[in-house]
Amino acid sequence: MEGVQRPGRLRAYARFLGLAFAVNVKSVLEYRVNFLVQFFGMMLNNAAFAAFWAVIIGRAGAVGGYGFTDVMFVWGLVSTSFGLAHVLAGNVRMLGKIVMEGGLDVYLLQPKDVMVNLLASRTVVSAWGDFVYGFIVLALLPGTDLARLALFCALALPGALIFAATFAAAESLAFFMGNAQAIASALSEFMLSFSLYPEGVFGKGYRWIMYSLVPSAFVAFVPLRIYRAMDWRFVPLLWAIALVYAALSYALFQAGLKRYESGNRVDTRI
Amino acid sequence: MAAIVADRLSKAFTLRIRPKGRFSTLRGLFRPERRIVQAVKGASFSVNEGEVVAFLGPNGAGKSTTIKMLTGILQPSGGTASVLGLDPSRDRKRLAWSIGSVFGQKSQLWFHLPPADSFRLLGAIYELEPALLASRSGALIERFNIGELMDVPVRKLSLGQRIRCEIAASLLHAPKLLFLDEPTIGLDVVARKEIRALIEELNKSDGVTVFLTSHDMGDIEKICKRAIIIHHGEVVVDESMKALKHRALARKYLGVRYAKPVDMDLPGLLPIKRTELSARYEVDTNEHSLAAVVKALASRGELEDITIEDEPLENVIATIYASRSGAEASLFGEREARHD
Amino acid sequence: MTKLGARLCCYGVAASTAIRDRTAYAGNFSASMLTYGLFVFIFSRVWSGAYESQSTIAGYTRSMVVWYFIIAEITSFGFGRYFWNLARDVKSGQVAYLLARPYDFVGYHYAERVGGSFVDAAIILAEGLAIGLLLAGPLPAAVEGGSLMAGFGRAGLLALSLVLAGSLNFYLQFALALTAFWLEENDALYWIFQKFALIVGTLIPIEFLPEQAARAALWTPFPYLSYAPARIFVAFSWAEAGSLLARQAIWVVLAMLLARFVFALGSRRVALNGG
Repeated sequence: MEGVQRPGRLRAYARFLGLAFAVNVKSVLEYRVNFLVQFFGMMLNNAAFAAFWAVIIGRAGAVGGYGFTDVMFVWGLVSTSFGLAHVLAGNVRMLGKIVMEGGLDVYLLQPKDVMVNLLASRTVVSAWGDFVYGFIVLALLPGTDLARLALFCALALPGALIFAATFAAAESLAFFMGNAQAIASALSEFMLSFSLYPEGVFGKGYRWIMYSLVPSAFVAFVPLRIYRAMDWRFVPLLWAIALVYAALSYALFQAGLKRYESGNRVDTRI
Repeated sequence: MAAIVADRLSKAFTLRIRPKGRFSTLRGLFRPERRIVQAVKGASFSVNEGEVVAFLGPNGAGKSTTIKMLTGILQPSGGTASVLGLDPSRDRKRLAWSIGSVFGQKSQLWFHLPPADSFRLLGAIYELEPALLASRSGALIERFNIGELMDVPVRKLSLGQRIRCEIAASLLHAPKLLFLDEPTIGLDVVARKEIRALIEELNKSDGVTVFLTSHDMGDIEKICKRAIIIHHGEVVVDESMKALKHRALARKYLGVRYAKPVDMDLPGLLPIKRTELSARYEVDTNEHSLAAVVKALASRGELEDITIEDEPLENVIATIYASRSGAEASLFGEREARHD
Repeated sequence: MTKLGARLCCYGVAASTAIRDRTAYAGNFSASMLTYGLFVFIFSRVWSGAYESQSTIAGYTRSMVVWYFIIAEITSFGFGRYFWNLARDVKSGQVAYLLARPYDFVGYHYAERVGGSFVDAAIILAEGLAIGLLLAGPLPAAVEGGSLMAGFGRAGLLALSLVLAGSLNFYLQFALALTAFWLEENDALYWIFQKFALIVGTLIPIEFLPEQAARAALWTPFPYLSYAPARIFVAFSWAEAGSLLARQAIWVVLAMLLARFVFALGSRRVALNGG
């Protein structure tokens, strides 16, 4: 029976991922206090930035076309997408380090897709706080109803996929370069930072980057426009874009995997 | 049938060398210096189904690299491998269903959770039906005597307990071939004995093929029938444990103690160590007959004590390891073989 | 050598070793330089957006507030994240070995870590000045005119204030990191600390905060991590600089005493329970 495409593959994968998630959660709950502290710590973090925006917008009115509600929506959405990416694919920002240190061995020995298996093998505790934060913000914003909540979720899911895909792609550079950590973390940082600030403050000259290499636009700017207009028509397009990013990221990882050196690569100083 | 066939398997790594001197970082960015290191250079060997083979070699000889190529972790840069009839570099996932592995330091158990959770997750990874998983893990828990450990977080287990759980976990999907990389490293004498007994039993009762690396001669002498030694990336010895031990038998250590001081130099054989009354000789039985040496020593004076020891297997292997190149190690092997 | 002399010498060697270690490989700086540059860039854009409809907010012009941000961030980017290394050393039991060494633990770590940070801080400062000239234009004028004396005074007191801010950052993070003796995971404490530091004086001058909050903030250590040097730089006057420096110094002493106290409790715990 080995090696044959088994019936019910999808179901087997679903069972595996479900169990991996359950094990992650259990692993996190081994340290309940830590979980709660990190959970609320992250909310506090986000609240700190909310305070910053409250001060600035209180002093200046709108900034870059964003009012306080817009800023809060974007923070909430980005926080939930970013959080979801790290809740479900907790290893996404560890990928480069794992590759460098030969940590893929364990996953390569198991009969599951390496990238999926690796990403799903960890959950980031603080990300749970991020994930929930968006919903709290949404609840506090005026005019939230079930339709808006549904749209929020429909925007957060592709957002999470784009975040995970971009981070994983950046981290996968570790397959190709001696030390890709600096570039990978810079790319991730750019992605997150650009998405948290009003689109209008960035000049047209470099805004194209945010629609391509560092796709902040698709996790923040575009979703905000869709949400303001309550226009579901563009949601499928956003999903399609997210799938394209995921496919590209997966392809990059697979190309890198062929060059995997299992921790044998040593950078020496001679 | 062959479980493993390696045919001129080789692996080269590219080493990036950080340049030094002025503007080194900048220069490194534009023109990085590289050096190719041949970790494995054309290793060929085969392992039959049901065998227990020791895969030996000093640190850095290419042992781990070879195992990683056989399990599909690394892509070989030359040659081919066939493991259970599959090419690990192309059929990694298919191969994974039927091999198990325990890599000394790299754990497949979740550190913060009890093994029971890892077992369940591994069950899902290997797509075992819950009933099958329950019966398999039940049998393994009994055999490995880990029932009490199943609900203890792995971080709280001793190393010996952890390795027992680790091996049991690697057997959940009933692999036909088991790769063990230093399974007894860091274990105490009792734990080591237990692990050896388990490996032996697995092989005898379930017919599992075992491919094992270890630095512990005890492991190798007790459970392996054949040894493959790799050095400088080449296979330098591939013979039965019996033959390897036979090399050791060709050399004897002979110790004598006399009642009174006597002349202890024999023609063509000087003691390697001596005191006033005692001496120790290293006798190559291909050059000297042991009986003649004993007779000659007895004739020198009244013997109070006489001991004869085999050369430990460790020394034989150490001599092979100490050779500076693969060619030299092979030469040594051939020269030794001619003595047999 | 006297005992004190030997000890100072030990700290000096620790600091210079750390400095040489940092400068050995310039690539180490690239990540934090990049992030810092990115933040300065984004915030200069955000401030441009905020100043579209007015020329001053709470007494700051756009140029002042961008320069403010450039200096205020130096403490977090230059006098880095001591917390992580220290907390990791405690959790891994590494500290238990270090305890056996014949030097004053707190003093030695101060010398090694803050000493090593001088390189980072200098590089970030140079980068900040370059980006600032590009994005915010010439340095803001000193309140007390542009005399040469005021110019040198401003540069000197800025440097002093940055060192005090770095020291304060070190001792506070040291005290937080050493809670790892009791708490298995204490990262969240650091984040909370970091966020307060961010809001109270780093992202925005405290004058921007609501008046009551700004007044209360002055009684916490946070403004002395970033507000003090940034304020000295963008609105220099001898009197205000003197007052800010004095308050910074008091906080450094208090934080050092706190760090020593936490360390004493923690190391006693190691001695009792083992690493």
